[in-house]
Amino acid sequence: MSLDRAELQDSARRMFGEAGLAPDRRQIWSLIAEMGWLGLAAPEELGGLGQGRDALGVLYLELGRVLAPGPVIPALLAVEAVSRSELLADRAAWIARLVAGEVVTGSLKGGAVEIRVADTGGYVVSGQLSAAPDADEAGHLLAWSADGDFCALIPLQQANVVIEPRPTWDASRRLFDVVFRGAQLGGELVLARGDAAADLVRDLQEHLMLALAADGVGGANAALEMTVEYLQTRKQFGRPLAMFQALKHRCADLKTQIVAAEALFWSVAEDRHGGAQDPLLRAAAAKSYAAQVFHAVSEEAIQLHGGIGLTAEHPCHLFLKRALLNEALAVGGDAWDAAIGAEALERLGRAG
Amino acid sequence: MTASVQTEANLEALRKEFRAWLEANAPHGWREACTQQDAFGDTQRNWYRKLVAAGYATPHWPQGWPGGGRSLAEQKVIYEEIARADAPRLILYFVSTYHAASTLLEWGTPEQQAKYLPRILEGEVWCQGFSEPNAGSDLAAVSTRAERRGDKYVVNGQKIWSTMAQYADRCLLLTRTDSGGAKQAGLTFLLLDMKAKGVEARPINQITGDEEFAEVFLDDVEIPVEDRLGGEGEGWAVAQSTLSSERGLTLLELSERLRGGLWRLATAIQKQGRSKDQGLLRDFGKLSTKVEACCALADQFLQKRIAGQEQVGDASFIKLHYARTLRDFVGLGVRVSGLEGQYFAPLTYGGGQETGNWMVDFMNSYNWSIAGGSDEVQRNIIAERVLGMPREPKGWQL
Repeated sequence: MSLDRAELQDSARRMFGEAGLAPDRRQIWSLIAEMGWLGLAAPEELGGLGQGRDALGVLYLELGRVLAPGPVIPALLAVEAVSRSELLADRAAWIARLVAGEVVTGSLKGGAVEIRVADTGGYVVSGQLSAAPDADEAGHLLAWSADGDFCALIPLQQANVVIEPRPTWDASRRLFDVVFRGAQLGGELVLARGDAAADLVRDLQEHLMLALAADGVGGANAALEMTVEYLQTRKQFGRPLAMFQALKHRCADLKTQIVAAEALFWSVAEDRHGGAQDPLLRAAAAKSYAAQVFHAVSEEAIQLHGGIGLTAEHPCHLFLKRALLNEALAVGGDAWDAAIGAEALERLGRAG
Repeated sequence: MTASVQTEANLEALRKEFRAWLEANAPHGWREACTQQDAFGDTQRNWYRKLVAAGYATPHWPQGWPGGGRSLAEQKVIYEEIARADAPRLILYFVSTYHAASTLLEWGTPEQQAKYLPRILEGEVWCQGFSEPNAGSDLAAVSTRAERRGDKYVVNGQKIWSTMAQYADRCLLLTRTDSGGAKQAGLTFLLLDMKAKGVEARPINQITGDEEFAEVFLDDVEIPVEDRLGGEGEGWAVAQSTLSSERGLTLLELSERLRGGLWRLATAIQKQGRSKDQGLLRDFGKLSTKVEACCALADQFLQKRIAGQEQVGDASFIKLHYARTLRDFVGLGVRVSGLEGQYFAPLTYGGGQETGNWMVDFMNSYNWSIAGGSDEVQRNIIAERVLGMPREPKGWQL
């Protein structure tokens, strides 16, 4: 079956629009589950809708626009991991549980844990992951090992797992640290091992980057629209603020940055222009750029709103907080920007 | 309907064929030779002649004209391959093959088209006489007078920023035939013979030492009425076709060249022994991401054009983003080259935007933030026509 991207966007925008900005997390989560959108990218033979990354892109963009809370990103990562697993026995059943809204979390920071074979059979997990949304309500956590040899769903309801809330300035995401102190992992929950795990983990990291890129582009668009609307309404010196060229030009520059970040996002999500650049770095570039643009737009949004933008009742700050959090997620931009630069230097330089 | 079917296979076949042709025919060593201004004209003329003969100079012309009838996707392939081969851009023929041709095709009578389009293919150089000392971003303020006398117009006035006018055979001239009423209403579009009596083109010495633009002085110049494009008073509408003739498409080629030119910056960083400088790598990484975004934007623009979904402001986004990215690019080049980059090095005439002569490249980058609708004009278009912000009130008078 083919799902038209514009139709998906329309229905997502309509539904999320009704729920409003920064909606109630339970309400939005059940909306998403009811629509079956968690199964967008799962293969049809496993009960999914068989769509590609571009459909997920539409969803992430729309979620970003309304600053949606909830564990959508790790849930969709888990759907991808389960769909591609060659080891999991009951994939269709797992997809059904995930699509129905059973919470599986994962680290938005993209970190890894240590997984080793237990003396008693099965595996033992140790280490700490940060920025796992809604981990307190999750049955499992999608994680991979630092050596790239494992990807697994780790059960959280056990004594050797400590789940610690980490309230962030951005209240639209409920983030937790998850500490594994020799937690038990049954072999039946291992999704991939060896080369298959390395490939899968790489793709999941790419997916995470793209999700955050789309989130940033969506948020930036909404923040700018809100700002332009405010400038149209607010009058000073006998005319709407939107008439002042000094302000118009700033808005035009922001819009141009958003359009560029969006074009880059789609070119990566649709895998056009694959070219010479490493795919993970391309996704990292899209994320880093979108996060910078979201930061710039939400920073300017407060400035252009003036005093009202500093009040807690006005939503300006919600955009700023989410934007600055996004910059720190999935490995901060600095490290990736340097990695992108180093790779390009190596590939293009003729004096090395 | 054009004969060329747009399958990936056909595009790849074109790419292969053109790449092979370029290997045999693209000029070599022109960057070194073109540090002499004389060599620039010869290089351009020879390169243009070859492209015309092989049918690659005018892929954007309609079906039925020599070299024409290529789809946008095919044009893109041709641009990409010319950029990849590091062959010169045809800047001497840019106005003739794009602006003049598309304006003639849209507004010219069959007689005018039959007379002038073949001459363009034979190598006539055209320039554009729009801007004036007091009509830059405010183009409709043009004041060069054209007075009708019998079957002629007699023209007096001054044009400025005419690209390559000192080489030109003919000029797209925007004149004022009526000073009453709205300023857009009294304009008339004429085709000027640059060899006519009373025409003088004086090159403008630029900050780079280059002379890409000229002033054109018009003193009682006679232009036959048959060389008018469109009706008297329709000049503004005709000029809009000229200005939109290559709207955004050039940026496809320029974005590709930007990506293709990143190696110069990478090499400069390596030569300075700074391959491990994390701060610099970060800046280089950010720049290469902006360049990728530029190419993605250009590609998206092309796809929208092909699908007939181009929207107001699309061309402004890409021009503005390109101009900012180019400035970042060449600015990083200046920074990396340090004091060494401040020592004088002669420019390459017609060398393009990213030659690795960073000071020249930096100064040249203003061509894209000022010419062809400045960054500020693009911002107005985006703010007013995309974001729907109101225009500033009129009424301030000198």
